[in-house]
Amino acid sequence: MQLTLPYSGIILLTGPSNSGKSTLLKRLIDEQQILPSEVISSDDFRIMVSNIEFIDWRNRPKEEADGLFDEYQQISQEAFDMMDALIESRCRLNKLTFVDATHLQPDDRKKYISLARKHHVPVMALVLDTAQETLLERDALRENPRGSRRIKQQFQVFKREKRFIKKEGFTAVYMIDANELANVEIYKRANPVEIDLHEGIDVIGDIHGCFDEMIALLEKLGYEKNEEDLYVHPEGRKFVSVGDVMNRGPKSLETMMFFLRHVKAGAAYMIDSNHGWKIARWLDGRNVTLSHGDEKVAEEFTKYEEMNDAEQSIQLKNELKEFLLEAPSHYVFKKNNIPVLVCTHAGIKDEFIGKQSHQISDFCRYGDTDGFDEDGKPIRKDWFVHHKKSVLIIWGHDPKPQPLLMNQTINIDQGAVFGGQLTAFRYPEQTFAAVKAEKDYSGADNNPLKEWEKKRLDPPNIGKFINGYSVLTEEAGEIRVFDDTVKPAIDTVSHFTVPIEQLVYIPPTMSPTPNPSSLSSYLEHPQEAIDYYRGHGIETLVAEKKHMDSRAVLLLFRNETAARKYIGTGTLGAIYTRTGRRFFDKTTEKTVVSALNEDLQRAGYFDTNQTDFILLDAEIMPWNLKAKELISSQYAHVAENALLDRTILKNKLSAAAGRHDAIQSWLEEHHEKVNNALVFKEVFQKYCWDIEGVQNIQIAPFHVLAHSGETFFHKPHMWHMEKNREFARYSSFFVETEWKLIHDESSAEEVIKWWKDMTEEGHEGIVIKPEFFIAKNKGKLLQPAIKVRGRKYLNIIYGMDYLERANLERLKKRNTGKKQKLALKEFALGVEGIQRFVNGESLERIHECVLGTLAMEADRVDPRL
Amino acid sequence: MQLTIRAEGENAEAVSYLLAKNPNNVYERNYKGHLVRFFYSQFSKNAVEATIFVTPDPIELIKNAASAYDITHYINDREFAVSSIFCSFIRTALGTALNGQPKEDYKKWVDHPFPFQFSFGPVASSLSNSQILDLFEPLGFATDISRGEANYSFNIKEKSSARWITLTGSTTLQTALRQLFVLIPVLDNYKHYYIDEKEIEKLQRYGEGWLEDHPLKEFILRQSLRFKEVYSLVEKQNEEKTDKQDTAKTERLNDLRYEKIIDTVHSIEPKEKVVDFGSGEGKLSLRLGFVPGIKEILAVEPSESAAVRALDRFEKAKKKEEFLSPVPVWGSLFYYDERMKQKDIMILCEVIEHIDEERLPKIMEIIFREYKPRVLIITTPNKEYNRVYDMSDELRHTDHRFEWTRAEFEAWCAERSHSYPYDLSFEGIGEENESHGFPTQMCVFKRTEV
Repeated sequence: MQLTLPYSGIILLTGPSNSGKSTLLKRLIDEQQILPSEVISSDDFRIMVSNIEFIDWRNRPKEEADGLFDEYQQISQEAFDMMDALIESRCRLNKLTFVDATHLQPDDRKKYISLARKHHVPVMALVLDTAQETLLERDALRENPRGSRRIKQQFQVFKREKRFIKKEGFTAVYMIDANELANVEIYKRANPVEIDLHEGIDVIGDIHGCFDEMIALLEKLGYEKNEEDLYVHPEGRKFVSVGDVMNRGPKSLETMMFFLRHVKAGAAYMIDSNHGWKIARWLDGRNVTLSHGDEKVAEEFTKYEEMNDAEQSIQLKNELKEFLLEAPSHYVFKKNNIPVLVCTHAGIKDEFIGKQSHQISDFCRYGDTDGFDEDGKPIRKDWFVHHKKSVLIIWGHDPKPQPLLMNQTINIDQGAVFGGQLTAFRYPEQTFAAVKAEKDYSGADNNPLKEWEKKRLDPPNIGKFINGYSVLTEEAGEIRVFDDTVKPAIDTVSHFTVPIEQLVYIPPTMSPTPNPSSLSSYLEHPQEAIDYYRGHGIETLVAEKKHMDSRAVLLLFRNETAARKYIGTGTLGAIYTRTGRRFFDKTTEKTVVSALNEDLQRAGYFDTNQTDFILLDAEIMPWNLKAKELISSQYAHVAENALLDRTILKNKLSAAAGRHDAIQSWLEEHHEKVNNALVFKEVFQKYCWDIEGVQNIQIAPFHVLAHSGETFFHKPHMWHMEKNREFARYSSFFVETEWKLIHDESSAEEVIKWWKDMTEEGHEGIVIKPEFFIAKNKGKLLQPAIKVRGRKYLNIIYGMDYLERANLERLKKRNTGKKQKLALKEFALGVEGIQRFVNGESLERIHECVLGTLAMEADRVDPRL
Repeated sequence: MQLTIRAEGENAEAVSYLLAKNPNNVYERNYKGHLVRFFYSQFSKNAVEATIFVTPDPIELIKNAASAYDITHYINDREFAVSSIFCSFIRTALGTALNGQPKEDYKKWVDHPFPFQFSFGPVASSLSNSQILDLFEPLGFATDISRGEANYSFNIKEKSSARWITLTGSTTLQTALRQLFVLIPVLDNYKHYYIDEKEIEKLQRYGEGWLEDHPLKEFILRQSLRFKEVYSLVEKQNEEKTDKQDTAKTERLNDLRYEKIIDTVHSIEPKEKVVDFGSGEGKLSLRLGFVPGIKEILAVEPSESAAVRALDRFEKAKKKEEFLSPVPVWGSLFYYDERMKQKDIMILCEVIEHIDEERLPKIMEIIFREYKPRVLIITTPNKEYNRVYDMSDELRHTDHRFEWTRAEFEAWCAERSHSYPYDLSFEGIGEENESHGFPTQMCVFKRTEV
């Protein structure tokens, strides 16, 4: 007798003591049909919790018998609690468990049925039907006989219960005759939703009857029609549909038949879906209303029935019904027996992966919904924010213009039937292929793609931000933004920044060296930056000259039409500061932006690069352009006061020098102090020059962040600096930035010397970056850049006397920890926001990144770092 | 920060006794890292010159200050300029002279006038040279003011903001020092550092005998006492500033505008749910609280400081009868806010002109398409009327991003609402001028389908 068992779940052995349960399991283990760890026995647990397997209270005086009975009850209780906890863990982990206990009472069985349901695993009963005489014979032979009275009692209960077991809700019940026991063999089924990746797969989004587009896509992917009229791939790849192959489109029936044949032949897979389920139930004769394009499917069936004879039609309907009803809620694709990819229709929870149940099917069909909106449409909740496992999930259902990677999930429904495109995601290559739909087949008034596009630039929902929120970034995972900092940031956006649609990026803050210089006369030195990166396994570094100036973001469009497409307004571009404010006044901005546009057009930049815009991270000089008031009222004012004070004092001391030894040393001290003040005064003037009109404005772009089709975070900084050189050729506004490569000791020394020379002249310093824009060590993001400011320059940051020994010693105790953490978070938010902007995502999704950075900048950090 | 005292003439050497400092020694004290030092640069029978100066510890000085997270805080004039900090540092060193308590033998010199010269600085002051002269000349000093150097490689400022003051006159040491201890803090550009209560206590004592008759007594007291009332004073100054821009006329216009809106609201049915967008300090919301029939007022404002003031205003009014307290809502027109949906009346009173014109269409689209108020009321200045105020091209408020003529406003309202079911009516608020219309214009949008 062969028993077919599921790959996971609970197998309850049922039968009185001595019915042969343990003996059967022991044989199966011995024959290596099952694993010892798959068997859980209540007797074992009694021993484990109490050292006692069985207590015999027969033939004892009453008070002793009662006491022993109590003890046995208590031991059993503890043993079952432990055992059930273990079974539950195994269910969670999707493992198979044989439970070896009598399970004679209905409550004993119900407990496991509900446990299995809770964890979406099958539960089966193996009922061992053994005659009472055999039970009694065996009992007499065992070490701890249960006694005939108990055995007889148990047998009576078993006889009564046997009939009901089948109706209790088990996935399956096997009745085994005692005589058959020795011949029982186990066949363990594989997990039907787990599939080996083999030569790779191509996952196809919602087809919705767009048969021609599907064929075109398969051909594009390299599938060829063979003699049996099947589309197969020469490399052995297979294709997978995420469901909704029918409904709304022109050829739903043909598409369903196509998948029926291909799935049957093992050439393809298809997943269950909301429309598939509806049609299946309709075919099953259930009372369902066909609407939202499902009525078109029914029409196609009617036509088919007209063209073919009745028998053929009925057969097709039956076959399709079975096919649709059997389609699994999801598939798990495995590489080297490790799950790497999950395909589902509308969504899935992590704990559902690899399991099957009605509840799971329902979730996978419809996703996570939260009631209905005023127009009667389901309000879709973002199920994917809860996805924590590393496995990639591919899904469809919710048409979006672009396939987006969101929290390690990708939606590949690009609304083919609404005139969008049919998308395929290729795995393991992780690339996309798509075929544009011939037209909008839906005839629907509210085309979701158009609705989406229309609302793409709608103002973000304040409710999502105001109490604090999280951003899921690809580079640094979840980043929390707290309400106490987000409110001032919203205030800033409401009063001061450029329009939200143009505010696509706020540059991250930059940390100085994590450790102060080990040299006694320096606060900062390149060595510590180099050490930081080397310590994290980065050997190639780029050192860029840092300009003393104001950081700026330039968003420059090809023309006004292009701008309208991306930000909703016709403009040639925007230039804004690190706080999102317009860099220049409106008129100057227009002049600068127009001139830049002209220069770039002349150079053919937009055409050559096939882009509608460029997004640049830059520094704009001179410093006084933005900071004139600050320079006048702070730096110049302080310099004048210091010099006046110290010069007069020095003169007085020098007149009195002969009078006392102390005066001589005070004089020396003030000699030094006057020099400090002079250096201070000299330093800040280095970064300022007079500006007439826009002529003397210099812009030094150091990152080309994005073009309309791509971001450049995967490029090394050498590439970005080459671009910087290129820009300097195109426009007189753009200036080149000097830079050097560090790849060994001698180049490191050269950079240090270069830094020393330039900073002694008063230049601000350098920025040291890892070779690649995004650098990680052991999966953790590293500082994207570290600034190393010059000795002289730091006078205007830490005060003119900061290098005096006592001052420097104290300043070296500075803590850059918070600054570094903020830098990483803001960097990840910046990269994420730009990626979303380039992907054409909604304004709200872009803005949450920008707002996050603005909020972090509202956090309190020592501004001198 | 330093002060040099010079005395010449007969018995000038007696000044050293009054100072209680030995001419053959230097004086140096360390207070938490701040150094107070004193030395004689000249000493003879008939000529004495001594300098007292303070070298503060710059790092200690800025510790625990309120503006610790402002970069400019670290680079400032506090470690150089003479100020109340300077006075409190040198008070102990000059205690004998200030109190007129030298050794018994020299008491006779306490009230003896010498020909003195006091020079001190640098002075960082917002007072003009002539204001400074007005402070010292009534005390009998010939006053000389010089400036530091302001020679820069680029055009940044005309003259230095660091000044040096030299006073010459015949006076007693005690009186002169007391005068300096009162007037140095008066000169100084006070910023929120170092509130030294002792300075105030000393004011009365140090002012004895001369402050009462000083022509600028009121000013001196006010400047000195700003330490005590610094917060309320700052508040007052701010109010004064905004008040200056608002003439009595515009004050009246504000009231007229509120009255007009309230009248309009009175006539609208239903009016259960009202939103005051950009409610600022809550003046309009407060008035709405007294309109019968209103059951909910949302006062929406993104600025925390304004919202706090609005809350105070609502709290005070709560005691009055028949007052419905508005609910302050932290919100912004630049975001979508589902709490604003389906209200009876939405009001944008003097709000749109504070928003960049290019950002307005999106805002209006969300109001009409998503919020769908039954009635929307918008008010904004009428630019034509600026002629009546004798204004040329300037805007009425520094934060105004634009001001519109009647035709511009009407065209804008029509364009913004044309694809939505609203009837528009325009009215003026304030005193009408025959050719320029009303100072404020108002549009009432009424939804024609619900």
